[in-house]
Amino acid sequence: MNTSGSHNWRGYLFVAPATAYLALFALFPMLFAAWMALHRWHLLKEDHPFVGLANFTAMFADPFFRGAIYNTLIYVAFSVPLGVVTSLAVAMLVAQRLRGVGFFRTLFYIPAVSSQVALSMVVIWILLPEQGLVNYGFAKLNALLGAEIPTATDFLKQTGWAMAALVAMSLWIGLGPRMIIFLAGIQSIPETLYEAAALDGATGWKRFRHVTLPLLAPTTLFVVVTTTIAAFQLFTPVYVMTEGGPRRSTDVVLYHIYKEAWQKFEIGMASAMSYVLFAMILIVALFQFRIMRRALSEGAPA
Amino acid sequence: MRGLATLFGRVVSRFGEPYAGRDVEHRCVGPAVSAEQPRATTPKRVKAVPMRAVRLILGSVAIVSLAGGCADDEQAVTTVLRVANWGGVQVESDFMTLEREIREEFERQQGVRVQFEQIPGHGQYAPKLLMMHVTGSVPDVVTLDASSAAVFIDNNVLRDLTPFIAGDPTFELDHYFENVVNIARRGEVLYAIPLDFTPMVMYYNKTLFDAAGVAYPQPGWSWDDFFAAAQRLTVYADDARGGPVQFGFNFENAAPLWMPLLWTNGGDVLDPTGKRASGYLDGPKSVEAIQFIVDLLEKHEYGLHPKRRAAFGLDPFRAGKAGLDMKGHWAMIECRADGLDFGVVGLPTNGAERATVIYEAGLAIAQRAEQPELAWEYIKYMTSADVQRRRVASGLAISGNKQAAAHFAGNPVEDAFIEEVNYARPPWGATVERYPFVEGLLKEMMEDILYSDGKLSVEQATRETAKLIDAALAEQ
Repeated sequence: MNTSGSHNWRGYLFVAPATAYLALFALFPMLFAAWMALHRWHLLKEDHPFVGLANFTAMFADPFFRGAIYNTLIYVAFSVPLGVVTSLAVAMLVAQRLRGVGFFRTLFYIPAVSSQVALSMVVIWILLPEQGLVNYGFAKLNALLGAEIPTATDFLKQTGWAMAALVAMSLWIGLGPRMIIFLAGIQSIPETLYEAAALDGATGWKRFRHVTLPLLAPTTLFVVVTTTIAAFQLFTPVYVMTEGGPRRSTDVVLYHIYKEAWQKFEIGMASAMSYVLFAMILIVALFQFRIMRRALSEGAPA
Repeated sequence: MRGLATLFGRVVSRFGEPYAGRDVEHRCVGPAVSAEQPRATTPKRVKAVPMRAVRLILGSVAIVSLAGGCADDEQAVTTVLRVANWGGVQVESDFMTLEREIREEFERQQGVRVQFEQIPGHGQYAPKLLMMHVTGSVPDVVTLDASSAAVFIDNNVLRDLTPFIAGDPTFELDHYFENVVNIARRGEVLYAIPLDFTPMVMYYNKTLFDAAGVAYPQPGWSWDDFFAAAQRLTVYADDARGGPVQFGFNFENAAPLWMPLLWTNGGDVLDPTGKRASGYLDGPKSVEAIQFIVDLLEKHEYGLHPKRRAAFGLDPFRAGKAGLDMKGHWAMIECRADGLDFGVVGLPTNGAERATVIYEAGLAIAQRAEQPELAWEYIKYMTSADVQRRRVASGLAISGNKQAAAHFAGNPVEDAFIEEVNYARPPWGATVERYPFVEGLLKEMMEDILYSDGKLSVEQATRETAKLIDAALAEQ
């Protein structure tokens, strides 16, 4: 290996495009946002007075911003565990050697390559009162079983249901990518371990519990962290389906930031809020890393 | 670095233009380019022979860098006028064809090209244009929505049009409706010429009125008349299960639609200076107006409650399931297309002066326009009586040009609209920068009341919302 200085410049040359890209489109905007967060920065006003941390104290005094944090945490608390569990379950299903399993894998992956706006529209239609698939299904059930399920429920206009709809949608959209990662993890587990477990008399569930799950821990960590980050950054379905309503019940942090920036044009405040979101994600991710690392070291074979 | 920047600029100018479907032109007028420059690298050829195109572009970049000017082909430089308008991709309609023909006539007259830039997305128009202003890429002509005009006018985004008017003997400001012109006025300074507008009025379905044996509403009618008509137009199914099947009044929770009812009771959202809502939104007159709406929907069920709305289709009035509806002129196109037998009348009042709001589109020139003189010619052309007569024949709106509007006089529906202009006020968004945000708060307030099952009183809701509005306006 030659690490002498005369050859190093070639390496820098290779990473230069990526470095330049990151510096220009990631590092610079981040630093500039930090600068703006310390100022009263209106998009159109000439002067941007320095206000120190006033943006931060103001946002935490604002009940709507606190509400947005609360809504975001609710969304994360439901969509992440459910999302991870469902995608692991689906990955187990499509990991089987079945005829046409490729077809099902593709089917589950399709939402991931579709536009979130288009998917949001589909969900809006599915949830329409009376004409929507869900309510139509209820009507059919009523006719079949003589039940009395209401069929005019406007799910996206009711506080609890609107959030539930967003969570349900996140399961659907995020399923594909998470499933693929789990699938890769499952397929990398050596077959010999299962054979050994079978010889010891382990049944299906025990094999899953004591072989698959521990060996999937690094994969799970990755899926949990990326899913959490994505959940904190929920925006498109909110923008298309609920606009933060009804009664601000789906006003999540990123949508709140968007409104601050593009309805009030308070770019400084929006930048400050973005840093708070960043801090939230960072703290939660570090926390997850710590827990999972402990789980990994405990679960590792001696 | 220079070469790289030019290359980037060139690629962007070739492929980044929002305008698709025609030859890409350059807006930059630079010094004549060397004759050695390779011939046009049209996008078509770039696609067909990529490697050769790359060489050509790199070659031209080198030459351009030396020449120090804007790259251009040998073809004649066409002046381009950029015009911003809201709205997204639509299905081709007669009106779009007409608008394009009108623009093409202007292009022929002036020997220029009009680049019509549609900005799609609900609520995206103002942010996008303001961002274009900040980055110096704003179109020359800006279609100005009265509802969000203040943020443009009060932040130096638009030019004062009075010098253009003073220097142009062919233009007469008197030809336009005065209180529509004044929407974009700040003292002596004028920022836009009215294109078209509509006052909000009450539509009524004559068929349903006849069936119920109710007399058509007359100008100057009262809330009591309105209430009585709504009551008699509300129809239950024979078994009376599950509420009315036809409502007197179609309510839609959008602040621009219901806010004028506050005015007809002498109430308002903001104080006359537009600085605070406390004492106005939660004042007795406004509270009474909002209570009137809420009671109509919840206590009496003569109005279609948003909770029930979904079961009544996209537009219950057009579907013949609501007898009365507050709408603008634009609704006429569809009502006519549906063959609906309808009439329009001013808003009912409750002891106060007749009142309504004007929603308007004006044409303005961007402060950072590259072609201000041409932009003025375009505005003059678009708002002229001849062009306006052709445009508004579609039923879209009322022309801001009185001559063009007069052309449609004699039609009872048109006359009813014109009569309302006398009582109409500009929307708050024309003078209060944050009003579009306030409208969001108003919508949420109404939603809070209507979804609280009667637990949240109008007094409390308005008081709390007024405080939020005060805070938002004080931040400005």
